[in-house]
Amino acid sequence: MKCEQIAELLPDYLEGSLAPDQLRDVEAHLEQCADCSEEVALWKKLSLLPVEQPSTASRVRFEAMLQAYQAGRSNQPAGNPEWKKRASTASVFHWLRSPLGAAAWSAALLAIGIFTGLRLAGPKPPSPDMAAIQSELTNMKQLVVLSMLQQQSASARLEGVTWSTRDQHLDPQVLSALLHTLRYDPSVDVRLAALDALSRHSAQPQVRSSVVNALQEQQSPLVQVALIDQLVEWHDREAKPHLEKLRQSPDLNPTVRQRADWAIGKLN
Amino acid sequence: MLQVRDGAGEMLGVLFDRYQTPLFNFYSKLTGDRTLSEDLVQEVFLRILKYRQSYRPGTPFRAWIYQIARNARIDHFRKFPRERVFEPEMLPPVIPADSAQEQQEVELLQRALALLPEDKREILLLCRFQELKYEEIAELLGCQLNTVRTRIHRALQELRKSFHQLTQGTALKRANSAAPGNISPRGGCREV
Ligand SMILES: [Zn+2]
Repeated sequence: MKCEQIAELLPDYLEGSLAPDQLRDVEAHLEQCADCSEEVALWKKLSLLPVEQPSTASRVRFEAMLQAYQAGRSNQPAGNPEWKKRASTASVFHWLRSPLGAAAWSAALLAIGIFTGLRLAGPKPPSPDMAAIQSELTNMKQLVVLSMLQQQSASARLEGVTWSTRDQHLDPQVLSALLHTLRYDPSVDVRLAALDALSRHSAQPQVRSSVVNALQEQQSPLVQVALIDQLVEWHDREAKPHLEKLRQSPDLNPTVRQRADWAIGKLN
Repeated sequence: MLQVRDGAGEMLGVLFDRYQTPLFNFYSKLTGDRTLSEDLVQEVFLRILKYRQSYRPGTPFRAWIYQIARNARIDHFRKFPRERVFEPEMLPPVIPADSAQEQQEVELLQRALALLPEDKREILLLCRFQELKYEEIAELLGCQLNTVRTRIHRALQELRKSFHQLTQGTALKRANSAAPGNISPRGGCREV
């Protein structure tokens, strides 16, 4: 094979997604072509570049930016051009960085304090402004959960599941992400956490049917037992035939079978 | 209200902790400017706060955040045209590696990367250092998956060429100071 033909395959080779026969072709070429194998070597070396750490002041600045943004939002009527002007990205930073930054910062904190005081002083009907803030925050929470559930590390995904339990109301997007996690997450811990999070939302018909379906799909005894226990807790009689089907699977873990028997008895 | 405010802070804080270092490295390796990189990271989080409604659930989140990151940089250079270009002197010190040879190679690689045109440097950083998948890069750059593959390969080819020029340079220096003519330019970096 020539270099040009290899060039088409090289990116997939680097990503490790070549079919076996193509892989053989590329490897054969790499053994005898210095240029191509050098490119592969450089690719590998790119991962050795040092990771630089941002300064510790960066986190402090971030906190200040957040406070300033929110203080501004909660005190200015929506659509006020003055605030819009001040909220423009560049100026917030200039403002925070300016010598006045610290003073403005305390003023912002004070403003939050006063605003909070007013809110606490007496029950008032929520202003449209408050509703807007609330809805933005819901969006933000959803964003965090969804992004965390996509993370590579199991602990991050676990954190994402935990985040999802902070809201009484479960957003449909988050619900479907959790259902997906319950079915497909490679980590048992994450799947168990997803089940736990979902268990709070048994009123949603989708949740119950997913738990029942998961019974047949899950291979881990830990998860299987947790699913069975959940069905018993819900007192879900419709689950009985599914439990009976499960206990008849030929290579079922004995503990799981025992648990299924116990559950069938309970659901009678 | 206070509770609500803390909730949002905590949530964006989670994202900040997770993404500030990767984003900082994306910028610093692209521009060679630490201060600017920190500014741009802050800018990214302000934009996340402001434009979070624009995230379409179900699409890759990292592609979205890097989209914001790219736009923040483009906007910055539109407002403040570049005063200085990336110079190898701005590169961070390389942490001592297992061997002197490895350390020298990483240093040379950093220089070679800095010599690339920005779009080539960017795509290599995105797939190799930020570990974005090809599909995520395609989504981010708004191009076909095949275009991403082609561009990665071209960038890698150019990286090899500039790496070569640099190794030839060092090999030449070494050859001059030690035994002239003994070390072939090509094998230079391997025989150190
Ligand atoms: Zn070749």
